[in-house]
Amino acid sequence: MTTVQTTPQYDADIYTDAALREPYEHYRALRDLGPAVYLRAHDAWAVARYDDVKHVLATPEVFRSAEGIALNEPANAAILGCTLASDGERHAHLRRIVAHRLTPRALRPMRQVVTDAADALVADLVARGSFDAVGDLARALPLSIVPDFIGWPEEGREHLLRWAGANFDSFGPLNARAEAALPQCGEMAAYGAALVRDGNVLPGSLGASVLEARDRGEVTDEQCMMLMLDYLAPSLDTTISAVGSAIWLFGTHPEQWERLRAEPDLVANAVQEVVRLESPIRGFGRLAAEDTEIGGVAVPAGARVLVLYAAANRDERHFADPDTFDVARPDALEQLGFGFGEHGCAGQGLAKLEIQALLTALLRTVTRFELGEPERALNNLIRAFASVPVTVHTD
Amino acid sequence: MRIEADYDRCEGHGQCEERAPAIFELDDDGYLTHHYEGQDLPAELEGAGRGAVAVCPVAALRLAEGT
Ligand code: HEM
Ligand code: SF4
Repeated sequence: MTTVQTTPQYDADIYTDAALREPYEHYRALRDLGPAVYLRAHDAWAVARYDDVKHVLATPEVFRSAEGIALNEPANAAILGCTLASDGERHAHLRRIVAHRLTPRALRPMRQVVTDAADALVADLVARGSFDAVGDLARALPLSIVPDFIGWPEEGREHLLRWAGANFDSFGPLNARAEAALPQCGEMAAYGAALVRDGNVLPGSLGASVLEARDRGEVTDEQCMMLMLDYLAPSLDTTISAVGSAIWLFGTHPEQWERLRAEPDLVANAVQEVVRLESPIRGFGRLAAEDTEIGGVAVPAGARVLVLYAAANRDERHFADPDTFDVARPDALEQLGFGFGEHGCAGQGLAKLEIQALLTALLRTVTRFELGEPERALNNLIRAFASVPVTVHTD
Repeated sequence: MRIEADYDRCEGHGQCEERAPAIFELDDDGYLTHHYEGQDLPAELEGAGRGAVAVCPVAALRLAEGT
């Protein structure tokens, strides 16, 4: 056992507008302070170094997700029991049901659907020449695929993006953003409950398979509703964030787009690199179930631990030149933007499929992205742009 | 050095195969084959093996040292 160090502390609020716009210097400071750093403003221990983030994610017996995902009690109470916020056997059981339809093998029939949708969308936007890479591209694909796949009825879809964003805002500390979000999370939960009660999901969809699992007695009504939220909440904003960031990164690094055009086989690696450098989810929480330590720093039972994937992904102790965008980075696959271990993202197969399909379609004709002035969307958990105006060149 | 695969946990993301194709292979249905199941890896594959363990996103692979 390593000797226990005194706890490093950090005073800044890392959820202010300014910090959400420019988080990376905060993350560097946190990494430099130590393996776990007490955030006075949030009463939580931040974990920002790669090795320590991986340790926390690989030790779910100690670092619990139930009552631990959000940095505040009301949000933790609201999501208690969904896959994301459960532990042990219960989690393994729910995860099997959730992941079952999302594994790459189960998604195989979706491949053509996603590719065709991406090709049609990109052809249309390239013909227009100028568009908003967030509103017209990043949002359009997941919204045309995911709600049908999950099986949401048409009515209510207009709220999906607002609810999903509120869900992620609610997971932060109880600041103004989280407070404004909580009532909207309630609306989303009520909608999910009504779907389960009325069986109002599209036949053959993933939602329908959850209801079938309930009819076989494998999950209760309440779990069923939580599973619906599992699919709804994390499936849109995350992918949208990654696509928006990808276009911005390729616009600001034209030589990386050239490289990808020359070697389109790098597209899967490029997606990992985008998620590494501009991690869509900055961090989720855990609750320490017992007195423990993180890299030699004592963390008491009951402590809130904030696992900062976005900081680990720029850790100079792990990645060479971590702030550099390199589509051919040899260890991009080691990035932690999809989490790791028991709770590692269940939807990463679908997310990668969507992002790769869009980039592949763009690679066919676009030689260069000319960016306008991008605008940030501020969310407690999601790093994203509200808009990225772009003109695509095909010469 | 051996690698143990937890087939229940494996979801077929295929990142192990990308990193260590000599050790792991996914069949056409996305099911994992571990070519050194229950055996020590040859020395020249140890590096690739460690890499595969590191990139499995759901931690379905585990190193068993000194067996
Ligand atoms: C670029 C896109 C995405 C990113 C960056 C992302 C990121 C993450 C992260 C970091 C976690 C780990 C949670 C933890 O450690 O507690 C996670 C879990 C999860 N994600 Fe994703 N996600 C993405 C897309 C999706 C999509 C498209 C879906 C659904 C269709 C999805 C469904 C889930 C679910 C159900 C979990 C919970 C898994 C569990 O607790 O066992 N995600 N995601
Ligand atoms: S990387 Fe992990 S989940 Fe993916 S195929 Fe290999 S063992 Fe299975």
